[in-house]
Amino acid sequence: MLQARGRWLAMIILGAGVVAAFMLRFFDPATSGVFPPCPVRYLTGWYCPGCGSLRAMHQLLHGNLRAAWAMNPLTVTLLPFVMYGLASHALFEIRGRELPRTFLPAVWIRALCAIIVLFGIARNLPLHPLNLLAPGAMLHP
Amino acid sequence: MFCPQCGTNNADTAAVCVQCGRALQAAAPPALQQPGVVMPPGTSVQNYLVFAILATVFCCLPAGIPAIVYAAQVNGKLQGGDVAGAQAASKNAKMWCLISVGVFFAGFLVWGLLAMFGILGSLAHH
Repeated sequence: MLQARGRWLAMIILGAGVVAAFMLRFFDPATSGVFPPCPVRYLTGWYCPGCGSLRAMHQLLHGNLRAAWAMNPLTVTLLPFVMYGLASHALFEIRGRELPRTFLPAVWIRALCAIIVLFGIARNLPLHPLNLLAPGAMLHP
Repeated sequence: MFCPQCGTNNADTAAVCVQCGRALQAAAPPALQQPGVVMPPGTSVQNYLVFAILATVFCCLPAGIPAIVYAAQVNGKLQGGDVAGAQAASKNAKMWCLISVGVFFAGFLVWGLLAMFGILGSLAHH
């Protein structure tokens, strides 16, 4: 019963992901109002570590790696790993099997957490090499 | 552990069979590729790291940060052999992921309503 629920949930989320990918392909979050703004940016005016990730994925869906990197290098770097992890989770819910995975030592996860937080801080600083991390800044240096 | 060569029962930690001297640890399938990481066999505690990263970096939700911290705690406790502690941390990681999901849908709803009122407002102007 619980397994069937997990399977349906996984299928619904997968379907929503495909719809979201199509939306992202056809609507540019930079120019269209289809996508909601980042809540952190909207409420505080600061860039969060995830700001620009939708625009980055839009650019990736059009094959523009450079533009995607400029929007959010962290998203572009983490995307393959997150896709792999999501695929593994979905496969587990639907088929009961996982993709092969390695055990991440806690130090690595803490380091990743530190990178995410520091990246979020750095892209808000008005110092020259760091301010290039703000969404799109690398395209207009 | 039973020796695959002669069938003698050995201690699980034995490197070689006490009866015939066959290497035992090499015969066992390697549970983990990572050297230096000790994980109790047969334990897998969900750390929800993928969802935590998804919330933080892909959905702009800072509630994912505590989820990442707890994910690190899950794996840290597993490395130390503390399965109960890992399960407790796992529960917390899951909770913060669910909070992120809640905030996501709440924000989506608010944004949708604001957009709708915006459209209605601009229609009223015309």
